[in-house]
Amino acid sequence: MALQQAGLLRILWWAGRALVLTSALAVTRVDRVAAQGGDVRLLVRLTTDSTPNGSRAPLVRSENMLASNSRWLDALRSGLPVRLHYRVEVWRSRGAWFDTFERQAEWDVVVRHEPLLDQYTLLTFVGAARQERRYATLDALGAALAFGYQVNVRPVESGRYYYAGSLQVTTLSDSDLDELERFLAGDLSEAEEQGENFGDALGRGATRFLLRLAGLPSLRLEARSPHFTVR
Amino acid sequence: MRLLAVGLMLILVRPLWGQDSVIVIDPDARPSDSFVRGGPPPEVVAELISFYNDSSTTRMQGDVTLPAGTRFEGKLALYRGSLRVAGRVAGSIAVANGTLYLHPGAAVDGDILVVGGRLLRSEQVEHRGTERVYWDAAPVLRGSDGLLALRERRRPLGEIATARTTFQAGRVRTTLSLATGGTYNRIEGLPILFGPLFEFRPMAGTYARIDLRGIVRTAGESDLRSDFGYVARADLRFAGRTEFGIGGRLYSEVEPIEDQPLTAGESGWSAFLLQRDYRDYYEREGVSGLAYVRPTSALRVELSLSRDAERSVRATDPWSLLRNSDRWRRNPLIDDGHFFVTGLQAEFDTRNDTERPTTGWLIRSRFEHITSDDIAPVALPLVVRPTPPTGGGYATDRISLDVRRYSRLTPALRVNGRLRADGWIAGDRLPIQRRLSLGGPDLMPGFDFRAFTCAPRGFTDPSNPALCDRMIATQLEVRTRLSLNLGYRWPNRDANRPGRFIGIEEADLVFFSDAGKAWLAGSGAGQVPVNRLPVLREWSLDMGVGLDAGEIAAYLAKSVSSGEPVKLIVRLQRRF
Repeated sequence: MALQQAGLLRILWWAGRALVLTSALAVTRVDRVAAQGGDVRLLVRLTTDSTPNGSRAPLVRSENMLASNSRWLDALRSGLPVRLHYRVEVWRSRGAWFDTFERQAEWDVVVRHEPLLDQYTLLTFVGAARQERRYATLDALGAALAFGYQVNVRPVESGRYYYAGSLQVTTLSDSDLDELERFLAGDLSEAEEQGENFGDALGRGATRFLLRLAGLPSLRLEARSPHFTVR
Repeated sequence: MRLLAVGLMLILVRPLWGQDSVIVIDPDARPSDSFVRGGPPPEVVAELISFYNDSSTTRMQGDVTLPAGTRFEGKLALYRGSLRVAGRVAGSIAVANGTLYLHPGAAVDGDILVVGGRLLRSEQVEHRGTERVYWDAAPVLRGSDGLLALRERRRPLGEIATARTTFQAGRVRTTLSLATGGTYNRIEGLPILFGPLFEFRPMAGTYARIDLRGIVRTAGESDLRSDFGYVARADLRFAGRTEFGIGGRLYSEVEPIEDQPLTAGESGWSAFLLQRDYRDYYEREGVSGLAYVRPTSALRVELSLSRDAERSVRATDPWSLLRNSDRWRRNPLIDDGHFFVTGLQAEFDTRNDTERPTTGWLIRSRFEHITSDDIAPVALPLVVRPTPPTGGGYATDRISLDVRRYSRLTPALRVNGRLRADGWIAGDRLPIQRRLSLGGPDLMPGFDFRAFTCAPRGFTDPSNPALCDRMIATQLEVRTRLSLNLGYRWPNRDANRPGRFIGIEEADLVFFSDAGKAWLAGSGAGQVPVNRLPVLREWSLDMGVGLDAGEIAAYLAKSVSSGEPVKLIVRLQRRF
């Protein structure tokens, strides 16, 4: 009994220290991630204040994705599709206490070079909706990748809010691309019901892991919008 | 990702020249499975081809510059490359899959058409005529005769099949596939599934499917099971404001007894690489049917009935990469017989991602009423259970609950919690194939595999079967993303660019703690009364820390309530 109580106290003590350490790491995290971005930038801005209650929507945009020294350009030219996974989260600021997560929205953009045509295919996935566009020049592709995304997730309840955006850029193998397309096209439920395929699932995981170990580029950017107040 | 993304809709705003400068994403729009293929309008492409191929047009290819002070008369067309104009063009210009630059002082007395590129114009440019620009690539090819031709579109990426072949016959889509069965184990080796899938959509919102799969087991012969199995399934779904459906299965397959301490995939890798199979199995052959309703996208309620023959299977000796000369752990005997199972299952899932959720709930609960008239029970000590009635009238009830909560305290700090409970609630005691245990990499990683099996003192069985009536476990973890840079960065010849990094750049730092208890219900020594849960001080506790790089994770876990040494656990997916 005494042993159990002592164990419980030890747990609480270590858990407290772990939480403090974790919080400290979390605080320093954003700066590190931003610094990692190098030439690619993620911007989360607010639309103009056009609603009576002051609510504003986020406008998400990435910049310099295909700058002349971009490693993503190298990846594309090497035949590797590049996936951009965007996520926008709505956070309610609560002063000194933890902020509250309200909701989020996600979408994907996959870019692939078609070497025979020397064209770039840009697939945008939003839920089950897909859009395919092709660009013959890097200039046009770069401009298309710099489109802004206005996400209709305006909060309606009164309070002080901000948006947290993240962009994860990864390279995909061909099988990943097929899997991603099937998943985003809505095949996931069938795959789940039929059971995970041992070879496929673990082969895919191993492939991704090896791709990462092999040094193929992977980048994660985060950014926050300014605070705004909903009256 | 599944949840909100399903409701998203892509709306493209086209302010100028058919281009998209802002894309509006509306999460509250009605779900749509539309596929929009962008591109210049066909009539514009036809006009471009006609202009380019016109015999009066001067055709160029590659990068061309018309310097300041020069003058060009007539129709000018360029295919692939960049056309830089600083002089005067007295005529129309068309650019196919290239960029048109109008530099200061440039003058164009005619129409401009750019398809598949951009028009970049400076100040002080004089232009008399229309101007049309389409960024999307023009689907054209330049032939050996120097003329442009329309290029037939290749198959879209989504139609490229890899491991299966699909063809359409009338309104029925048929898919022939060959796949593995989801795991590698000491009973079947690598089960291989093959067969056709027929899909039929008679009308919008209705989906029918017949899936016929044969199973070949690669582990070799066994006197207790066949080398072949099968699963035949038929489903009919109706999607609308409320989705509902019915289905039926006919099967002869090998099933795991517990779904922990590792997932099927991880257990398969462990068996294949290390000859360590963390699951036990039995064979079942029978028929089942189900009906379900999904009143909201997050909630699914299912009623199922099944009648099958369940029987023991023996471990064989499939090959493994390491320790191949070792002996596999025996597979336990089960209570053979025919079982009739009525199941009621509810699932509430608001997670934002099925593989790596960061927010949302997953609540999964299942109630089973199990009966049998010919159960042939394995002899177990009476403290584990009284001998079930063998002449008919065997009936037992079981309930399971899995509650997971994923939450983010700040954008960088996540806290996840899980409660897992399972076990007997009424009637005769559970058959062996539905009994429980704790300990091992998943629920209680600080403890040995099957550290808690409820086997009484003196009871020895090399298969180390799970014998508990009930179990409960909680898991709590705190995660934050770390920049690791665990590896080596190759120097790059270009000083302005970082070199290639070999290793892991980022990972989740995970602090976790688990608590749980598996027990026999009853009034005997060491048992917990039927009508209550164990008090907290009777639970076993562990805690640990780990790094989760997504595709692979390593954890150190230490039991707190006992003196077991620190354990290193490697996982290929999230803990929960």
